[in-house]
Amino acid sequence: MFDLVLKGLGETIYMTVVVTFFAYVVGLPLGLVLAVTAKDGLRPNQGVYLSISAVVNVLRSVPFLILIYTMLPVTRFVIGTAIGTKGVLLPLFVSAFPFVARLVESSAREVDRGVIEASRSMGASVWQVVVKVLVPEAMPSILSGATIAATTILGYSAMAGVAGGGGLGAIAINYGYSRYNYAVMLTMCAVIVVVVQLIETLGKASVRLSDRRLK
Amino acid sequence: MALIEIKNLCKTFGSGDGAVHALEDVSLDIEQGEIFGIIGLSGAGKSTLVRCINLLERPTSGTVTVDGADMCRLSERELRQQRREIGMIFQSFNLLMQRNALANVRFPLELSGVPRAEANKRAQELLELVGLGDRLRAYPAQLSGGQKQRVAIARALATNPKVLLCDEATSALDPTTTESILELLKNLNRSLGVTVVVITHEMRVVERICSRVAIIADSRIAEMGEVQEVFLHPQTEAAKKLVLPSRAGKLEGFVRDGESRAVDECRGSLIRLAFDGETTDRPIIADMILSLGAPVSIVYADTRSIEGRLYGHTVLQLPSEPETAEKMRRWLTNQGISFTEEE
Repeated sequence: MFDLVLKGLGETIYMTVVVTFFAYVVGLPLGLVLAVTAKDGLRPNQGVYLSISAVVNVLRSVPFLILIYTMLPVTRFVIGTAIGTKGVLLPLFVSAFPFVARLVESSAREVDRGVIEASRSMGASVWQVVVKVLVPEAMPSILSGATIAATTILGYSAMAGVAGGGGLGAIAINYGYSRYNYAVMLTMCAVIVVVVQLIETLGKASVRLSDRRLK
Repeated sequence: MALIEIKNLCKTFGSGDGAVHALEDVSLDIEQGEIFGIIGLSGAGKSTLVRCINLLERPTSGTVTVDGADMCRLSERELRQQRREIGMIFQSFNLLMQRNALANVRFPLELSGVPRAEANKRAQELLELVGLGDRLRAYPAQLSGGQKQRVAIARALATNPKVLLCDEATSALDPTTTESILELLKNLNRSLGVTVVVITHEMRVVERICSRVAIIADSRIAEMGEVQEVFLHPQTEAAKKLVLPSRAGKLEGFVRDGESRAVDECRGSLIRLAFDGETTDRPIIADMILSLGAPVSIVYADTRSIEGRLYGHTVLQLPSEPETAEKMRRWLTNQGISFTEEE
């Protein structure tokens, strides 16, 4: 049982970390582009905004389990397998990055318009405003969003256990639910709860440490 | 040539029936080294006007020239360069909340690619100049309103601009802090020679530091001139409202009141005396009463200090007997006191 927990835990953390990382690699710039091109943004551009928005909305609307099955051929082609821990990385990423983009967009839009106006008055280019104002000023909010994203991705990775994924969720279903071994199922649930709590605690601490408005 | 030239400036927001004309045919020149006030009530268009100077708002028509450069014709890159010649401070300070005071002042220098060490040195000098040499590492959240505005001023001056635009810079501050910030602006104007444009809705701010003033009302310039002149002889209704904010209501109440509280013989017409610095310290009204042997009623009085000279307004109600009232008018004219009849 202990080995089982350890294996599941390792896989779950692996999936969560890898997917959260890549979701931010794509979602952060995408969210910033959304914030900049929005109607009230620095460089309003309805074409760009609406196109990205459409992609984001479509991907976010597809239920995750259905997305896994829909993406089977693509996943097999890209990753080489569609089952196990590796097999769910791609669908997890595809459902996570649009969510991250929206989180980042809303964080960036929280930045005081006056501060942006002030930086423009000092001769900042759009790029400089994004890099030197939007991101640093929104950082506490972005980190708080990242905490939500990571716990959500962890939850989805567990859900992927139903469709042949790996990690704690898969163990709960394959060893627990399918074999009527409720002790295993509940143990895995407990471990997931603990991991989520840990992420929340870490996230809150990083927000607190990064935010200079609270001191 | 004036440092800032605004010609026939119009700014319209929206179009069609929903269009809002924020500025209509505004022209004014601001000279190198002066402190120029732009005053108006909320919604008069003064904030839009100041944003048209550094093109945070693009004028619908008309031209804005700053230091010889036609702002509307500059390319994106040239405009960013030109904006470094125009510092700006705001009512809400607009400091970067995640940067300390030093890093805030360093910010415009980073934007123009000044090396870090040099930028830090300059930022520190500027913070010392505005009296915050001991708060370099403080974050905005740890500073008071007045201190935040000082950081903002230091930041606005970091690139050695020719112009400093102040958009309601003291409106969020208490009277004592306002006084100290105005004093600082005046000193910086003297020591650095930076031209200051002050946007405000408060006449006392204009009186305190400006040499010239433009009054904006209903999207247009209602009146413009030397501060003393506008203060002593406001021509338009908009100017009168700003110069004598409490006058209108008081006088109306006074005249409408059938049972006037003035003694019977003082129910004549109202006149408004304007004292300039020369005559303020003479007991004019007492002299007049003593030499003519007839009483007057003082309805309203106010004095202000502009650039160290005392200016004042007094509204008198003259005796009801026309002959005595006429004598008083002649006496005042002979004494060199200017006055106008109040409706």
